[in-house]
Amino acid sequence: MLNLLQSNFALESLEKFVSSMGFAAFFSEMGWGNLVMILIAFFLLYLAIKKEYEPMLMMTIAFGMLLTNLPGAGLFHEELFAGGHVHWDAFTSHEGIAPGLLDYLYLGVKLGIYPCLIFVGVGAMTDFGPLIANPKSFLLGAAAQIGIFATFIAAYAMGFTPEQAGSIGIIGGADGPTAIFLTAKLAPELLGPIAVAAYSYMALVPVIQPPIMRALTTKKERQIKMSTLRQVSKKERILFPIVIAAIISLLLPDAAPLVGCLMLGNLMKESGVVDRLSKTVQNELMNIVVIFLGLTVGATATANTFLSPATIKIMLMGIVAFGVASACGVLFAKLMNCFLKEGNKINPLIGSAGVSAVPMAARVSQKVGQEENPSNFLLMHAMGPNVAGVVGSAVAAGLLLSFLG
Amino acid sequence: MTNFLAVTWGWNEMVWCTVISIALVFIVLVLLVFVMKLFGVIFAQKPERKLAKVAEKPISDEQLHEEQIAAIAAALKLYKSALHDRESEVLTIQSLKRAYSPWNSKIHGLTQLPDRK
Repeated sequence: MLNLLQSNFALESLEKFVSSMGFAAFFSEMGWGNLVMILIAFFLLYLAIKKEYEPMLMMTIAFGMLLTNLPGAGLFHEELFAGGHVHWDAFTSHEGIAPGLLDYLYLGVKLGIYPCLIFVGVGAMTDFGPLIANPKSFLLGAAAQIGIFATFIAAYAMGFTPEQAGSIGIIGGADGPTAIFLTAKLAPELLGPIAVAAYSYMALVPVIQPPIMRALTTKKERQIKMSTLRQVSKKERILFPIVIAAIISLLLPDAAPLVGCLMLGNLMKESGVVDRLSKTVQNELMNIVVIFLGLTVGATATANTFLSPATIKIMLMGIVAFGVASACGVLFAKLMNCFLKEGNKINPLIGSAGVSAVPMAARVSQKVGQEENPSNFLLMHAMGPNVAGVVGSAVAAGLLLSFLG
Repeated sequence: MTNFLAVTWGWNEMVWCTVISIALVFIVLVLLVFVMKLFGVIFAQKPERKLAKVAEKPISDEQLHEEQIAAIAAALKLYKSALHDRESEVLTIQSLKRAYSPWNSKIHGLTQLPDRK
């Protein structure tokens, strides 16, 4: 007769099942870390859904963070990318670590594919007209990049390596894909915190910038009305992406992937002959890549890498980078006014739009300008430095990559 | 290619890297300013030349003056905005013929009320 009560099989099976559950791992070593990370993921999901802080990326980043910190799920393995390299042998070998879904998707970040594809979409959505009409805007875009390099020095002073400092500095460029592109190459171990910092502060541009803009300008300066921008011909719009891609790629080959993709997208839009491609890169392609990028960048935020004093320092440095970049843009606009004739002067408020964050930073310039003078419309003028900032931050990333990569 | 990281990075290297990078960002973007200014000269002046040519021609008495053109344009605008669209009165609803399927059957999509007899 079967002696069911004396058999240990059921008990052992149950014990084995319980120990294999993710819940059990919370009580193991570093299990608390996973729990904290899951709580952080919940908080970021709250910010994305309730507060609508850059929800397209914040939500996917937070969900990636949640998935990677679920013990036992095995969706992402840091070991496969240890030392900043892809361990291809582990992907092909059937022994040892079994790569998870996010490991495969992360290859797109690691190989610099996703940020460039996003840039194709960004290019197709960007109107460079205000920049072509007022090329001086390039200077404001350049001035705002000083924030990147000031933070680069400050991060080094705080004990980060030069590669890590460069990756932290690029947060000041206020350009998510550029920050991810550079960090994945220079300091992949910091990808999670840097992406979270970059997108959080980009969402906070309307909070961070106005006090800086008001503090650095007088009421009279904020009321300056700028002359209407000239009409830009279709020829100029078509030639612009071709010429810019060629010039920047020849001068800075390391910036070629980002600038090249940005300009390709813009050419698709401006040429008007590949409407289907333009719509695809603006919508379907962009949305698909955003999902992959967000999920995998979030997945790099494991308890081991995220729960460290470095993350707090990065968050602090990020806000410094944004603040300095905005301030440099405003101050440079004031400096330019010293050399410009009366009637041609620029409103310094558009200088802060030199940090990328398209089009949020330009909207902030418009809003602060209208507070002083409701009949003043700065939006189109601010779009010039705003898109110049995208080009400027890609150039800065290319430079950092050539020096540190 | 020079491997900059082969050099031991200290404060000297960091400061130089920063200064050179800022200078290069400005040089590249200033270069682009000149390129775009050149664009403006080549492409934006052409319409002005055309306008200048037109302006050079003496206006004959038979030609209309700008004020007259503006007045005619305003009158046409007022006249056209007062007109109502004339409908063709032709129904253009396309009739669709679909093969019967229980999946698109209307009767199956309606709530069947209980038959209380």
